[in-house]
Amino acid sequence: MSNTQQGPAPVASEWTPLKARNVSFDWADTPLHWLPGQPFATHTINVLHLLLPAGERWFVHVYKQALPLITDDRLRRDVVGFIGQEAMHSQAHDDVLPHLKAQGLDPTPYTAQVDWLFEKLLGDRTLPPGKPRKWWLIERIAIIAAIEHYTAFLGDWILNADELDRRGADPTMLDLLRWHGAEEVEHRSVAFELFQHVDGGYARRARTWATAFTALVFLWQRGSRFFMENDPSLGGTGRARVSDFVRDGRRGLLPSTGAMVKSIPRYLSRSYHPSQEGSTAQAVAYLASSPAALAAEARTSGGS
Amino acid sequence: MPRVRTYLIAAGAASLAVVARRALRGRVQESPLWPMPALEEPISGQRRSSGTTRVLVSGRSEPAEGVVQLHLEAMDAGDLPPWEPGAHLDLVLPSGLVRQYSLCGDPADRASYTVATRLITEETGGRGGSLEVHEQIHEGSELEVRGPRNRFALVESASYVFVAGGIGITPLLPMLRAAEAAGAEWRLLYGGRSRATMPFLEEVEKLGVSSERVRIVAEDEDGLPDLGALWADVPQGTAVYACGPEGLLGAVEGSLPEHCSLHVERFAPGANAGGSGAFEVELRRSGEVVRVAADQSVLAALKPVVPNVSYSCEQGFCGTCQQRVIEGEIDHRDELLTDSERDDSLLICVSRAAGERLVLDL
Repeated sequence: MSNTQQGPAPVASEWTPLKARNVSFDWADTPLHWLPGQPFATHTINVLHLLLPAGERWFVHVYKQALPLITDDRLRRDVVGFIGQEAMHSQAHDDVLPHLKAQGLDPTPYTAQVDWLFEKLLGDRTLPPGKPRKWWLIERIAIIAAIEHYTAFLGDWILNADELDRRGADPTMLDLLRWHGAEEVEHRSVAFELFQHVDGGYARRARTWATAFTALVFLWQRGSRFFMENDPSLGGTGRARVSDFVRDGRRGLLPSTGAMVKSIPRYLSRSYHPSQEGSTAQAVAYLASSPAALAAEARTSGGS
Repeated sequence: MPRVRTYLIAAGAASLAVVARRALRGRVQESPLWPMPALEEPISGQRRSSGTTRVLVSGRSEPAEGVVQLHLEAMDAGDLPPWEPGAHLDLVLPSGLVRQYSLCGDPADRASYTVATRLITEETGGRGGSLEVHEQIHEGSELEVRGPRNRFALVESASYVFVAGGIGITPLLPMLRAAEAAGAEWRLLYGGRSRATMPFLEEVEKLGVSSERVRIVAEDEDGLPDLGALWADVPQGTAVYACGPEGLLGAVEGSLPEHCSLHVERFAPGANAGGSGAFEVELRRSGEVVRVAADQSVLAALKPVVPNVSYSCEQGFCGTCQQRVIEGEIDHRDELLTDSERDDSLLICVSRAAGERLVLDL
């Protein structure tokens, strides 16, 4: 990690070729509170399962349209790899939802609204061809770059969240989160580089960051609240308070509030490049030992 | 009095805030992301996983030397997905390897599946799948299976010739029973190294040795099978089904009488990757017609013509390359699409045309 670079130059050693991994997870043995005795932290992390199926499907949808704008072959290869990884993230988190429903916590009221957000509000709007359509495409590419700043932040956090291991978190859920987190760290530069390639304007970066950040805070707060209030084991008395978030952040069960605040000026810095934060080596090392990624490797290595 | 007025305004504001908060809480309880609406037909979490079923290994036997037969039962109550003769099942092995095995039980039995696999060691070109089945799967093991799917479907015909080499008898076994039940004319040539290594001999013999429909040729006793005799007086329009080692399939192809149609199933390698014949793809929007060679994927053939065609994993699992099909029969080889998606779309990185031509909405 180095923050001393001038200008948004990538750290070359942080680049790695990207490929989708054909993972699958068996949720049969994962308890509702997969972080034992910690419903708030469990559910705050569970919000990922509410947002990512629709969100990452939308990334793929937008990026497919972005392919014709790319004139650099390496960036095109990165984007192609990125798309497949995001598609698998969406599928993997989507598979958790029926498991939550089976445990008496039906996520559909929330996810149906997230679906509306990504399919309709952020979908392909009826715009005249030419400039307006291109503007809307680039605006969405910029929003994705801002969101990917946070997915990389969370990916780096989960890879280093040893406290979850100490507290006996469910190994399957941890593997899902860390496989996903590691791929987010692996491909953390792609969305930003695509944005720089097609536009890169600072005003747009700042504006879309504000949109994405506000939306994420809103979605997350409502998501934790939704889970806590509807968790059958809490009998309708569960609440999600800001103080719970700060407390669990201090204990290492969630990202700390301080670290989240500090990540804001980094994205807004003119010399920001995602390769300056997180460690590709750590991500690749995790993927080389992840049970899901190893099984995926075995699955794709042969026919009959 | 100004003080009273201040108190009244403050009290009014406070009660308004309480009312507003209560109203918001009520709305958010009803609609977690209020004021956003919900999508009328939700997408997330609704996907029926692509035909994945958990099964219990309820029986394991060795019907011949080096052959293991597994009986698989559904873990939850209810019928297993239906199948027809020629269908195969994808077994997800404990290591994550996925292997295809032909169903050799009775399609009418909706409570269990039967598959059989011959051990192919690494020295003889195996790649670990059958070894894992033989060494690590026992009675009581739990497995995930996908499918069944059929790439070797039995066409309706008045007359059939079946040719099996060794473990290649497995997809043919349900076909024999179906042909017999339909009252069709049929014959079977079943070859193998020695009788001890040939599974299901007894059942096959019961079906037709007396009527001379079945000829069993064990190499150590009888030498290589004589295909010429097999074709003696086959009626016009006979459907020929062959499954076995490459050499046998080649010999069948080479000696096939002109008036017969041939259907083969290979033991793979790469049953789900390699091609099986060339075909044409028409791009309806541009009007272009692209030839897909036998050893080429649709994606590879389209890339030069449609430079921005979407794809990623190139192995049939990420779904990025899904394209709508307007016309043509599809040979699906992915492990992702749901049955309804399979009706009118395919993943161009692995799936192919079942016929001569596909028309894509591209």
